[in-house]
Amino acid sequence: MIGFKESPWILHYDASSCNGCDIETLACLTPLYDLERLGVINTGNPKHADIFLVTGAVNPQSKEVIKNLYHQLPEPKVVVALGICACTGGIYRDCYNVSGGVDRVIPVDVYVPGCAARPEAIIDGVVKALGVLEHKYREMAALAESIDRVVYLQADRGDAPEILTLQKVAYQSEAELYGDDSLPALQQTLEELEKDFERRPAQEASELGARAAGDHPPNESDRIVFIKAVVNGKIIGSIRGYAIGDTAYLSRMMVHPYFRGRGIGRRLLQEVEQAFPQSRRFEAKTGHQSKRNHFQLGKLGYSRYKTEPFTPTVTWVYFQKERTLQPQR
Amino acid sequence: MNPWLRLIIYLVAAPIIGGLLAGWDRRISARMQSRQGPPILQPFYDVLKLCRKEAIVVRRSQNFYVFFFLLLMIFTGALFFAGSDLLLVIFALTLATIFLVLGGYKASSPYSFIGAERELIQIMAYEPMVLLTAVGMYMVTDSFYVHDIARHPALLVLTLPGIFLGFLYALEIKFRKSPFDLSSSHHAHQELVRGITTEFSGRGLAMIEIAHWYESVLLLGWVFLFFAAWPVLGIAMSLLVFGLVILVDNVFARLKWQAALRSAWTVTAVLGFGNILALSLLRGHPAPPAAAAVPPANPPDQISAPAAAPSSNLPT
Repeated sequence: MIGFKESPWILHYDASSCNGCDIETLACLTPLYDLERLGVINTGNPKHADIFLVTGAVNPQSKEVIKNLYHQLPEPKVVVALGICACTGGIYRDCYNVSGGVDRVIPVDVYVPGCAARPEAIIDGVVKALGVLEHKYREMAALAESIDRVVYLQADRGDAPEILTLQKVAYQSEAELYGDDSLPALQQTLEELEKDFERRPAQEASELGARAAGDHPPNESDRIVFIKAVVNGKIIGSIRGYAIGDTAYLSRMMVHPYFRGRGIGRRLLQEVEQAFPQSRRFEAKTGHQSKRNHFQLGKLGYSRYKTEPFTPTVTWVYFQKERTLQPQR
Repeated sequence: MNPWLRLIIYLVAAPIIGGLLAGWDRRISARMQSRQGPPILQPFYDVLKLCRKEAIVVRRSQNFYVFFFLLLMIFTGALFFAGSDLLLVIFALTLATIFLVLGGYKASSPYSFIGAERELIQIMAYEPMVLLTAVGMYMVTDSFYVHDIARHPALLVLTLPGIFLGFLYALEIKFRKSPFDLSSSHHAHQELVRGITTEFSGRGLAMIEIAHWYESVLLLGWVFLFFAAWPVLGIAMSLLVFGLVILVDNVFARLKWQAALRSAWTVTAVLGFGNILALSLLRGHPAPPAAAAVPPANPPDQISAPAAAPSSNLPT
């Protein structure tokens, strides 16, 4: 397929670099190396770009800019961390103002180490990025074509890495919404997520004394249920929930950005409701600015019943729904 | 040729020719900068890619305006190549550009705004000259119809040398090339980000690109009109003019908008209006003396003047 490989447009951003890598990047466009022969244009406009070249370590000032630019790049997009500072923080990684490599802020696809990265290495990195770009596009197209073949399954521990990757991608839009990347969903580590598969929430709750111990003895169904939406073997949506007593608590509904607005989130909610046949009441919480979630929950019969400040930027909004008794089939 | 057939050929061939011209432009520019440059087919790769990118919009209606920009640009070219009224072509062309400006305004970004404002200034700068071109062609051929102008037996450029040079100046502005790339900067000039096209991505940007291809073919067709009596010379001159535009693009730095406006109007007044004035003064005489009186008025750099001299003695 002609297209992505032949016409990569670049956005180059200097996040506190010493200018070494930037000069080498611009050298790539000069007659000696002439990246334009590969169809590369240095656009300087995120909305036209396919490849995001970032040089230099990330500091608090450049962090916001990097995120902002990243979100303005249309899909499919590739991020290239250029130079050792952008890869890991380099010699500045211990500085008080440096938070490390670019991958601390946005997902990075290609790392080009070097101090400064040589033009040959940069061209190599860009060519490698083209492969990633093509791959991402093909994935996007294949997934979009098979959208009507979504399978909803219970996830197990083996799915944890993929769910976590999805979580980090899906919650980017939330982080942008609240201007806060310290959302719990973005901070979760793989170990924590894997541990979630072992947890027994009702038991924990009873141990905390929230409920009388004898009320609900530990049983097999006392665990966090993970539902995944799968297309072509790839997880594109997920939700989890657990039951304490009569109430099922639903959380972390996520859908991959490519697949939003296609009813997958609603299906996930319905699926997870069915996973708790004993529950009489469902509870879900979401941030106050996530209007989309509010709308979706409202459509499924949820109503908001309380709000609770969580952080200065986020206020939780709690939604609940009583299950209407359905005739036995 | 049947105008409908010509129309269909135009609709199919114009984007191909326009795209190849754009590719040629980038290649020649690269060679002028002693680079190798992208393949000739690069603009097609770009547009194919843009069509498959996610389209991020500030407001949905911005792409609606751009769609009308493309549609009206195609319509303008169709009018021209079907041999319709030149004035109508000019009005349709202006309307098309206005839709692009509206799209730029709709996107509500400061860069897009500056680009849109400058695009309006550029319209102000080139529009009088383009209108005078139509008037000059009418004075020589007694018709505003492209169809009739193209069949005029004499080379128009001989009687309209000033208008031709003025039109070249307007062309520089219309192609949005240096020194007049004020509204949407091309490669590597970034202080405007991308001017009027800043907020367009994916399919919207692809539509703008395709509209530009149609636009280039239309404008070069207009250049051809000056040499329509000798079609081979006409095609050669169209390509030569396009080469000149590329050369000027690479040689000059960008002008400020004030300078662009002032110089464009000066050129219009001196070359365009001067030519019209000379024509109207000479029109009182019978045709042969008028034709004989014109060659001395030619600037010495008129390449085709000696070769074309015999034909100018034909009765007009």
